[in-house]
Amino acid sequence: MARAVIDPVTRIEGHLRVEVEVEGGVVKDAWVSGTLYRGMETVLEGRAPADAFYVSQRICGVCPISHGHASTMASEAALGIQIPDGARLVRNIIEGAETLHSHILWFYTLTALDYVDVVSALSANIADTYALAEKAGTSTADFGQVQKRIKTFVEGGQLSIFTNGYWGHPAMKLPAELNLIAVAHYLEALEMQAEAAQIIALMGGKFPHFMTSLPGGTAWMPTEEKLGGILFRWKRVRDWVANTFIPDTLAIAPFYIEAATYGKGCGNFLSWGCFDDASFDPKKRALPRGMIVGGKLEVLEPDVAQVKEYVEHAWYDSPSALNPAQGKTHAKFTSYDTNDRYSWVKAPRLNELPMEVGPLSRMLVAYLDGVPQVKSLIDTTLAALGVAGKPEILVSLLGRIAARNLETLYVADEMGKWIGELVAAVKGGEAKFFTESTATDGEGAGLWEAPRGALGHFISVKGGKIANYQAVTPSTWDLSPRDAAGVRGPMEEALIGAPIADVEKPLEALRIVHSFDP
Amino acid sequence: MSHEGHYREAHPLIFVFQHWVNLICMAGLAFSGFVIHGSFYAISMGGARMIHFTLMFVLAVNITSRIILSFWVKDANQLGTREVDTDIKNWLPQKENKHQLLETAKYYLFMRKERVISAKYGALQKIAYLATVPITFFMGYTGFALYGPAQQWPVWGFFAGGISLVGGIMTMRIIHYFGMWVVILFTMVHAYLAAIDGFKAFYGLIFLWRESPGAEEGH
Amino acid sequence: MAQEMREGIYDLLAARGVSRRDFLKYCGSVAAMLGLSEMAAPQIAAAVEGGAKLQPAVWLDLGLCTGCTESTAQAGNPNVADIVLDLLSINYMETIMAAAGDQAEEAKAKTIEEGGYILIVEGTVMTGEGGNTLRIAGKTGMEVLKEAASKAAAIVAVGSCAVDGGWVRANPNPAGGKGVKDVAVELGFDKVPIINLPTCPVNPEWIVAVVIDVLMLGALENLAVLNLDELGRPKLIFGQTIHDNCPRRGHFENGEFVKQFGTVEEVKQFCLYEVGCKGPQTFTNCPKVRWNRKASWCVESGAPCIGCGNLNWVDNDAPFLKRMPNVGGVRPETIGTVLGGAAAAGLLVHGVASFSSGRAKGAPVETSKAYDKKKGGDK
Ligand code: SF4
Ligand code: SF4
Repeated sequence: MARAVIDPVTRIEGHLRVEVEVEGGVVKDAWVSGTLYRGMETVLEGRAPADAFYVSQRICGVCPISHGHASTMASEAALGIQIPDGARLVRNIIEGAETLHSHILWFYTLTALDYVDVVSALSANIADTYALAEKAGTSTADFGQVQKRIKTFVEGGQLSIFTNGYWGHPAMKLPAELNLIAVAHYLEALEMQAEAAQIIALMGGKFPHFMTSLPGGTAWMPTEEKLGGILFRWKRVRDWVANTFIPDTLAIAPFYIEAATYGKGCGNFLSWGCFDDASFDPKKRALPRGMIVGGKLEVLEPDVAQVKEYVEHAWYDSPSALNPAQGKTHAKFTSYDTNDRYSWVKAPRLNELPMEVGPLSRMLVAYLDGVPQVKSLIDTTLAALGVAGKPEILVSLLGRIAARNLETLYVADEMGKWIGELVAAVKGGEAKFFTESTATDGEGAGLWEAPRGALGHFISVKGGKIANYQAVTPSTWDLSPRDAAGVRGPMEEALIGAPIADVEKPLEALRIVHSFDP
Repeated sequence: MSHEGHYREAHPLIFVFQHWVNLICMAGLAFSGFVIHGSFYAISMGGARMIHFTLMFVLAVNITSRIILSFWVKDANQLGTREVDTDIKNWLPQKENKHQLLETAKYYLFMRKERVISAKYGALQKIAYLATVPITFFMGYTGFALYGPAQQWPVWGFFAGGISLVGGIMTMRIIHYFGMWVVILFTMVHAYLAAIDGFKAFYGLIFLWRESPGAEEGH
Repeated sequence: MAQEMREGIYDLLAARGVSRRDFLKYCGSVAAMLGLSEMAAPQIAAAVEGGAKLQPAVWLDLGLCTGCTESTAQAGNPNVADIVLDLLSINYMETIMAAAGDQAEEAKAKTIEEGGYILIVEGTVMTGEGGNTLRIAGKTGMEVLKEAASKAAAIVAVGSCAVDGGWVRANPNPAGGKGVKDVAVELGFDKVPIINLPTCPVNPEWIVAVVIDVLMLGALENLAVLNLDELGRPKLIFGQTIHDNCPRRGHFENGEFVKQFGTVEEVKQFCLYEVGCKGPQTFTNCPKVRWNRKASWCVESGAPCIGCGNLNWVDNDAPFLKRMPNVGGVRPETIGTVLGGAAAAGLLVHGVASFSSGRAKGAPVETSKAYDKKKGGDK
């Protein structure tokens, strides 16, 4: 038995510590600890509901749009505001742009370095690299130039952010040429995520932390001219996703096909749903609401009233097992002890079960719900990987990654429709973007999705001020510690059974952690 | 039952004029200030601010010259007399003010019936009037602190220090806002008391420089 | 030392096909943003010819949302890849570094040991629960900061959180958030110069500007190059209010305001003052530098500035859609009106009493001072 500790887990949002017990080269037990507490909910109390839209985005600088939207939706539910259809389209497009941004950044900047050996790219043959790119159907770049850049860099002896990476690790499997392609696209991805973020900036002022989706609608007023700039950028990113991102995924996947056999997790999946259609019915969202329990491939309806947050293993002395609408958050650090309390993350449970959230949950729900585009995307991908008709294979480390990347393309295509609708609405001249309200009391929840998973904001407003505020973030679901009954959280569970080649450098565990986009 | 005579010697013409200037400036500052604060009226912000600045400078000059003049101009140091002395003496503690403060307060709170023996200005009055001077200059300072940062004045540090002292320009804005309310409240009480203590006599003299004989002479 | 560091940069740029001419142009644009004249550009370029070491840097994540890192990834020219590969050797940066856990900590320890690095700090210093509201590698965030800060050549606090605690320290500050500067004495690094770059998140162009100053103008040896104000902010970036450079300023002067979101006034780009814009008291050059590679900025998108570059910005600027913050939980306008109303009511009552008691017609004046009578004096 050996304990391997990864602290800090890098290439994530925030702060995380992961501890695994390894026996015979396989993970037997795991503890995931969120190591930062900032007290957002307490800060918001007593302020105006619109202030929560701004401040609560600062929970996460990678998915601020989703927090902003969930917060605003909670306020709107509490104050009985129905936003106009124009605002719905604007919000969908902003949210979609964040998804593109986030998934691209996640795959290339955060996760790829677990699979791609940057140093090995130095030995790639340039002609072979072009041939490989063509065969894989992925876009080419000036590979020679990229290789030269890495060479200058490595020979300079100062590796900057690549210092002490897992270069030459036995679990690195890609041929040198594919490594080089991936590095070239790593650099391109930095441009693409920025381009996606520009769409948010054009509609929301800036990214991260946008300014416009206030309770009531949006402060941004589209014009045909402004929409032109958005359409242009959307097209570039969408094409890049289709012609580079997806082919890269399919080219790399076969080398890591054994990752389809572990990292399954708890088998329960939750999606609150994202991207409203004109009916505002969560079951009709582009990514619909639903849940899957015990790995059984059927969609059930989640009831938010059945959510409870446990704090037996987290550093809080506020009461346990509360529904977030009545939630309390009071910090009390004791000590780091995996047998007792070991995290700043609470343990949310739905129907007393841990729930995995994220693109895999959303795509599974959408697939089983029969959303046509999602169905065809997944089915063709399964066929391409030689596992046609076996969607259950998605419940794995590899599946989690594939689901996220396929979702990127799906959302990109949907965005094109919303932009088209918005252009038509603006041309028609009838579009409305803001509903005024003078209501000052009420309670409500905003149940939505961040790129990394299900997100809920819960607000209670009295006399125009926030009386109570709670947020249950995707990380709270996925990174949850054990609950009162000692049941592991989804990421902890997913780590069980993972092979570890080198306990000193538990790269495989890191891959599973990263697959959740924590 | 008596009103003292209100003779011109009590308020020489120059002071009557300056009192007018004070009134107009303060009213104009409060109004233009409200426009700047809340932009209630769709009038030009630049215009409102220009009025605000101009009136502030006029007020500052007016108050400063009023202080200087008080050392030169002679006026009566009692109502009901034409005997004059240097004005500044009216602003320093006088023997009639002794033990007057509390009793005056009592009188206005209906805790005593008789009015208090007083100099031209009672103790309470003096304190209130004198306080308007620092308040006005304080308002000038806070106003400049709000406006100044962009101007890159050489003396900017003088205001920057104040801003960091109160904890930011927003706090300064609030202080300036409440300062205005202090001035408004002062003016309300001031106008009321002048009215209640003999509307015609006081207002006639201070606004129109019209004399009114004392009540005894009238009977 | 700086000279030597500077030397390699030109080669590195040349290696990736950036011509000398492009490079000069690029220096010129940054220099222009910094308010230096284009004349300085050739001198800057001359300083980097040769070939040697990159300036080492450590990027420390404290109590953060990662928004400032995200924002840095939006830098345009140079972009983030140029910064981390060609301009600096960022040996530790949790969010994007390849290594994790022990290997990551090792890279940091080595850089600290060698000294001479720039320490970039993102996020709030977490002091709550004995510093345990943030734990990294089994230590508290404060311990980690102390280690990294004491041997740094300079500290750049990026984002409002690192500058003064940001939103985390807003009332009631449940997690004990503080700014880097606030703990410098306590943690013993008060001798190390601190450069503050507020706003939430930080604008990447400012980081680039500071980095360029360090590399090209030797700001580490001569801090005066950065022209910092009393709060440690570069004056050229934080010297003027947003209001002064706002494209909507003309409408402000004309008294043309957006009074409600979603109205035709916004289509006409009227001023946002009435819906709470904090531009008049916020000191940043957002309207000039803009955001996301100059795509837009807050006011341009129709949203009032919320003053995220102010000190203690949440307490000072919320409610964000109102002109002024609450005082003791109440609107200042309400306090003023209530005071005025109460005074008017008081005076009215007093007036009624004065008339009904006959006092208004003239009250008797005492013959001798009540006080003196009591004392038996003043015969
Ligand atoms: S929008 Fe804001 S910064 Fe611009 S002119 Fe109006 S008040 Fe000033
Ligand atoms: S314009 Fe205001 S709210 Fe926007 S980034 Fe600048 S300081 Fe922050």
